Amino acid sequence: MNKFIAIVGSNSSKSTNRELLKYMQRHFKSQAEIELVEIKGLPIFKKSANKYVPQTARNIAKKIEAADGVIIATPEYDHSIPAVLSSALAWLSYGIHPFVDKPVMITGASYGSLGSSRAQAQLRQILDSPELKARIMPSSEFLLGHSLQAFDDNDNLKDIEITEQLNGLFKDFLQFVNISKQLNNANVVNKQQAEQFLWDKD
Amino acid sequence: MKLVGIAGSIADQSYNRTLLNFIAKHFEGLVEIEVLNINDVPMFSQDDDQTNSDVIQNLSKKISAADGVIIATPEHNHSVPAALKNVIEWLSYEIHPFDGKPVMIVGDSYHTQGSSRAQLHLRQILEAPGVNAIVLPGNEFLLGKVKEAFDENGDLKDQGTVDFLQTTLQNFIKFAKVINLISKTNDYDDEDLSAKTGTDTTIQGIDMNDDNWLDLAAQKVNAVEGKTYVKLDSGLLTVDQLNYFLKTMPVELTYVDENNQFLYYNKAVSPEKMLAKRVPAQVGDSLDKVHPKIDRVIEHVKQVINSLRTGKTDLVSMAVPGKDETKHHIMHYYKAMHDEDGDYKGVNEWAVDIKPIVDQYLQATGQKLVKDPEAKIDATSGASKKSAPEEIKVDATSSASKH
Repeated sequence: MNKFIAIVGSNSSKSTNRELLKYMQRHFKSQAEIELVEIKGLPIFKKSANKYVPQTARNIAKKIEAADGVIIATPEYDHSIPAVLSSALAWLSYGIHPFVDKPVMITGASYGSLGSSRAQAQLRQILDSPELKARIMPSSEFLLGHSLQAFDDNDNLKDIEITEQLNGLFKDFLQFVNISKQLNNANVVNKQQAEQFLWDKD
Repeated sequence: MKLVGIAGSIADQSYNRTLLNFIAKHFEGLVEIEVLNINDVPMFSQDDDQTNSDVIQNLSKKISAADGVIIATPEHNHSVPAALKNVIEWLSYEIHPFDGKPVMIVGDSYHTQGSSRAQLHLRQILEAPGVNAIVLPGNEFLLGKVKEAFDENGDLKDQGTVDFLQTTLQNFIKFAKVINLISKTNDYDDEDLSAKTGTDTTIQGIDMNDDNWLDLAAQKVNAVEGKTYVKLDSGLLTVDQLNYFLKTMPVELTYVDENNQFLYYNKAVSPEKMLAKRVPAQVGDSLDKVHPKIDRVIEHVKQVINSLRTGKTDLVSMAVPGKDETKHHIMHYYKAMHDEDGDYKGVNEWAVDIKPIVDQYLQATGQKLVKDPEAKIDATSGASKKSAPEEIKVDATSSASKH
């Protein structure tokens, strides 16, 4: 069975993105093992002369290295991903490169109707950067709008259409992960390039 | 024009900070730029709201008071650094200092891109409703290959680049002037004349609009009076002595605190004889209670207080007609008060008839006044327009100062 790391893109104790990932963890447990990872507590990304990376970030990197894929659930703050997620991704590409060629599924939830659409678009560009070089599942978008009203008393998604969309996307992601395992010819070079990326002065 | 610069980096060394410092130094004659520091801003979290911390309040105040903001952004992972995004999150959560604020984006990077992708993300971020900054369109300043761009003094080496930077900065200055004209009208709307918010010195539990507020409030805080000594920063007086002193000031003084509560006036003469009438029952009142409920008046009061609170101006002065202009020329002055940390503490208002002073001067120097045939102002009511700051259009007939 595939093992996925699910990153909660928020440090808020009340996060519908965490709720979404917990739901996916339960709902898809027969298809994949999903482990939730929190990024709360990571310091704001800062470059240093000795390229220091906090131990928490290193631990997350190890989990991602070992996983078959990563699911990210992002809120939208000011048309973009939260600073805490942006910071985590910077740490996870600073001298360590767990995301290179790693299959990633992007999801997101928001209180309003847009479901973090702009944040997800920026997140794609971020994950595409040479120092992250993740393999993002193409042509797929899961936007959960009105997320406060989206779950029932048992924390399951209420809307059947949305649930079916998520089922379909998750199935696709499983296939995408399998295909990705074969798309590894450039992996060595990609890793090298990411490692050679110059995180010089700001 | 006053601008603030934010380098979107908390790294110990930053070329973007160098760029901002260069802009501040090189274009000193054109514009005044203060470069702000974002190093100690905590990570944004809804669970732990630190909007009221000094570091965030300080950034907010500087941005609010500025005519515009220049942001210099590095590029991390095709986007803006988390540290910069983090600051914007705090400044778009409970407070919104960027609202309507003109912003110019610049950026540099090690390679050819010069932060191109980060700048586009930053535009989208600043455009978000919670931020609502107004970003200068076009005029992209992307400084690539930054390692070779500066000399040892931190100056840009390439004259072409400096010229282009000057053009974009001049465009921004024009842009900021126009944007500020548009957004200005609403600046003062939030000024709460009902004094509901309160401040650390507001006396709780007593209705501020009670006619006996002074006695009730004094009792509540065990206020000293009579022969008790009060130590001031450069003197020692009893409360009685303070009263003798204030009552004989040659001006009518009024104290309004930062919460817009009218706390004191120096009752020198009977209300009927005052230049600006005050009665004891008004002491303690919120400012909306001491002004007539006329929209135009309320708007002027808000404008005056807000321009003092935000530091747009330190002193507002206006002439208030009403008495015979051949015998009197009554001026009202509103001066911002600040504590040791520079935080706004309220308004010191004084009213004074300057006609006797002018007369005395003319008599002592053997001169007399003659009309200036070229004067463009109406001498009977227009003098106030000249002395009031441009943005505060004082309507002399229903002036803000009439409490």
